[in-house]
Amino acid sequence: MAALLELVNISKFFGNVTALDGISTKVEAGRVTCVLGDNGAGKSTFIKILSGLHEPSEGEYLVDGTPVIFGSPRDARAAGIATVYQDLAMAPLMSVWRNFFLGSEPGNGGWFDTSFAKHTAKEELKKMGIDIRDIDQPVGTLSGGERQSVAIARAVYFGARVLILDEPTSALGVRQSGVVLKYIVKAAERGLGVIFITHNPHHAYPVGDRFLLLNRGKSLGDFAKEEIELDELTRLMAGGAELEALQHELGAR
Amino acid sequence: MSSTDAPVSTGGDERIAFRGPLQRLLISPEIGALIGALMVWTLFWAVGEQFSTASATALWLDAAAPLGIMAVAVALLMIGGEFDLSSGVMVGSMGIFVGIFAQRFMGDGVSMYLAVPAAFLLAGLIGFLNGTLVVRTGLPSFIVTLATFFVLQGANLVFSKRVVNKVIVENINAERISDFKPFETIFAGRFKQDPPSFADELFLGLVISAAALLVFALLEQSLVRRQAPSAKHLPVMAGGAALAIAGFVLLHSTDGTGANWLCALLGLGGAALAVAGFAGWRYETAALDGAWLVPAARVPLFVGVGLLVAGWVVTRQLDMSQRRVILSIPSHGVKVLIGVLAASAGFAVVLYRGLRSMRSQASGRRPSKSALPRLVLMACLAALVAGSGVITLLQLTTEQGFRAGVFVGTGAGGVFALLVAKGRARSRSRRGQLLLGCVVAAAVVYFGLLVRYDSGSVRFRSGLLGALAIAAGSVLANALVEAYGKKRTSFDRAADTRGRWFGIVGLGLVFAALALRILFSGSNVRTSILWWIIITGVAAFVLARTRWGNWIFAVGGNKDAARAVGVPVDQVKIGLFMMVSLVGCFVGMLTVLRFNSVPAGSGVGKEFEYIIAAVVGGCLLTGGYGSVIGASFGAMIATMPTNGINYARWNGDNRMIFLGVVLFLAVLINQKIRKKAQEAR
Repeated sequence: MAALLELVNISKFFGNVTALDGISTKVEAGRVTCVLGDNGAGKSTFIKILSGLHEPSEGEYLVDGTPVIFGSPRDARAAGIATVYQDLAMAPLMSVWRNFFLGSEPGNGGWFDTSFAKHTAKEELKKMGIDIRDIDQPVGTLSGGERQSVAIARAVYFGARVLILDEPTSALGVRQSGVVLKYIVKAAERGLGVIFITHNPHHAYPVGDRFLLLNRGKSLGDFAKEEIELDELTRLMAGGAELEALQHELGAR
Repeated sequence: MSSTDAPVSTGGDERIAFRGPLQRLLISPEIGALIGALMVWTLFWAVGEQFSTASATALWLDAAAPLGIMAVAVALLMIGGEFDLSSGVMVGSMGIFVGIFAQRFMGDGVSMYLAVPAAFLLAGLIGFLNGTLVVRTGLPSFIVTLATFFVLQGANLVFSKRVVNKVIVENINAERISDFKPFETIFAGRFKQDPPSFADELFLGLVISAAALLVFALLEQSLVRRQAPSAKHLPVMAGGAALAIAGFVLLHSTDGTGANWLCALLGLGGAALAVAGFAGWRYETAALDGAWLVPAARVPLFVGVGLLVAGWVVTRQLDMSQRRVILSIPSHGVKVLIGVLAASAGFAVVLYRGLRSMRSQASGRRPSKSALPRLVLMACLAALVAGSGVITLLQLTTEQGFRAGVFVGTGAGGVFALLVAKGRARSRSRRGQLLLGCVVAAAVVYFGLLVRYDSGSVRFRSGLLGALAIAAGSVLANALVEAYGKKRTSFDRAADTRGRWFGIVGLGLVFAALALRILFSGSNVRTSILWWIIITGVAAFVLARTRWGNWIFAVGGNKDAARAVGVPVDQVKIGLFMMVSLVGCFVGMLTVLRFNSVPAGSGVGKEFEYIIAAVVGGCLLTGGYGSVIGASFGAMIATMPTNGINYARWNGDNRMIFLGVVLFLAVLINQKIRKKAQEAR
């Protein structure tokens, strides 16, 4: 069976800047692929290519084994690739259900079937194991973890097969991060392929099945879980040799 | 049967307390503006003799209509995150355009059928231009529309000077323009006509139905429900209702003063019977047995009513001059002092007794926290009853005074007794509930009595305030108690929903009755009020129930997010700008067809009033949040002082000072309430 989504030797150049250089990885249904990298590693370019905002300069982008070229994020969404950005694409003053259906309101013509929307939003969140207190409350009053979960549930409901999560845990506390990780696993259990972008190996390792490490636009390796330990992941992630040098320097004081 | 005593598992989320209607109401953006409008209205009602008459109400609503319509449009734009500073001058421009066009370029015998659509087309184009410039250049809409504002203002001057050689376009009327009439009917048709003969009956009928629905709403939300309704009480209810209606109709058609009381008694008995029948039909009889007022409620209520009756009897024995003498014996200050003393006595007694009973109840366990604020509230109500009762007593020289006193006493007492009994009912027995229904019914009857005298202007004001006081008082009091009740059965939830619908329909009927009264008040009211209502309704519907409404909120709340999920952000914004311009053109038509002339400076400066009305109505300056209904209330707040100051015979120059203070207070209250409500989540 072909992977849901596969990248073969993807590169991206902006003028004379090489943002990505020969990246390959794949995402399978029900699996979590983690993309790790420090700031400036090329994670955002990577997401933008995946979500259809940029076209790769070189390499092949395969969905279900067939090469695709996305002209816009809309095309990517139509192919079932949903991106949950850091800002979550939500209006904080609007209620959970209004946000949930924003841009895809149910109902005929201009009519917005609000009772269906409220009911469905509540049901869908429950399916993800999210027990929202009050579907009418503004999204701005939710905690960061809850907000992430709503965004994930929304992507799942609107037919996502591949879920791209852009640093979902970066702004969260320990407990809230745990909540989000739980929903990531839950989404994978429901048969979605998940791409989890983070710079925290401690968040990535427990949930990931596959790890792609990026550094300065280059791949440091694409490992399956059994090929790599957390320590190794952390070491590679932090820049390996550079960190050792730093430790040396600090230890010398 | 006591199977309902133990609440069934709630089925809801245990983390949230049951949110009563009050809280649900308070988190809506328009509530601050509504309360503000009511406060301003009450102020002018209190100081201006004629302010609350049907015709005066019609007049200030008529004056508020153009502002209200524009405020609705501007509120939509503000929710979408933009401003339009050219909206005020747009009104004038389109008036001038039609004026010049119709007079100059078409001459006699040519129609408005070209001028008016052309004006709308032009307005739409200008709006499109505004929107496109804002969207394309990314400049703040303040700057872009400020430019449009200056251009339009200049164009107004240039064209009126060049074409008619004046800075005012005049004589836009039926003599000069052949097809003027149909447009005048649409945009500025008159409602000036004598009330039709059935108007009074219709008004009364609507008000009675509304009152009945409100009582039912109250009962639905407060009493303990039967698991299965008992049908044998239905005939009692129907008979009671028939009696009540007969009583009211007779009351309305008689002139003799003696018969009034007979009919009122008939109405009262019928209403009480109807309420009892309804209660028996739907509620546990165990909850009703031994129905009598709880002790804490008895004393102030009966003392107040007793004093009123005594005072009435005494004053009946005296002739007019004697009364005047008696009336002047205690000076004004002394009267106030006595009233204050009585009020504090009432306050102290209720507080003391309440605290004592709380302590005795709570022996062995901690008294509940929620009981104290409720108790203080009750004490305040007792103070109100006692104070107002005594002051009224001191002024009893006429039957009206007596009636007003009884009304105040019964109304406040009813609300008060409701609070007490409901508080008790939740904790222990469920006695006293039926009587509460009767107290409310009595208040309704007194209200009916007051409405009976509605032809006189001052009577209308008492009636209006009475309606508002009864409806708002009982529903709010109920909601307040409801909010404290945390455990709800699923059965209760269904009944609460039904009760809420009763309440909504009831308030709708009150609204319809008042609208009827105002439109047929004989004042010179134009269609603009109707247009205001229609446009507000349409805008509210669009905002709440269509995908465009959702988009408007999103575009103002988080533009990038909206774009990311596929909302056509630019089109929505351009559409909103066009909508504001078109509504501006519409209001321009309302004005030009009404006044038959437009000064070149017309509408300049109005744009801020629109924005102010929208902000007072709960719209955030930053966008993404707000209400068009609130904006309508905001327009009322902004207009009421203009008329109110005249009726209060204050110096008209105070208007602006007053407006500033009122606006500030309104926004402050709005913000406070919203914050409080958000905390409650």
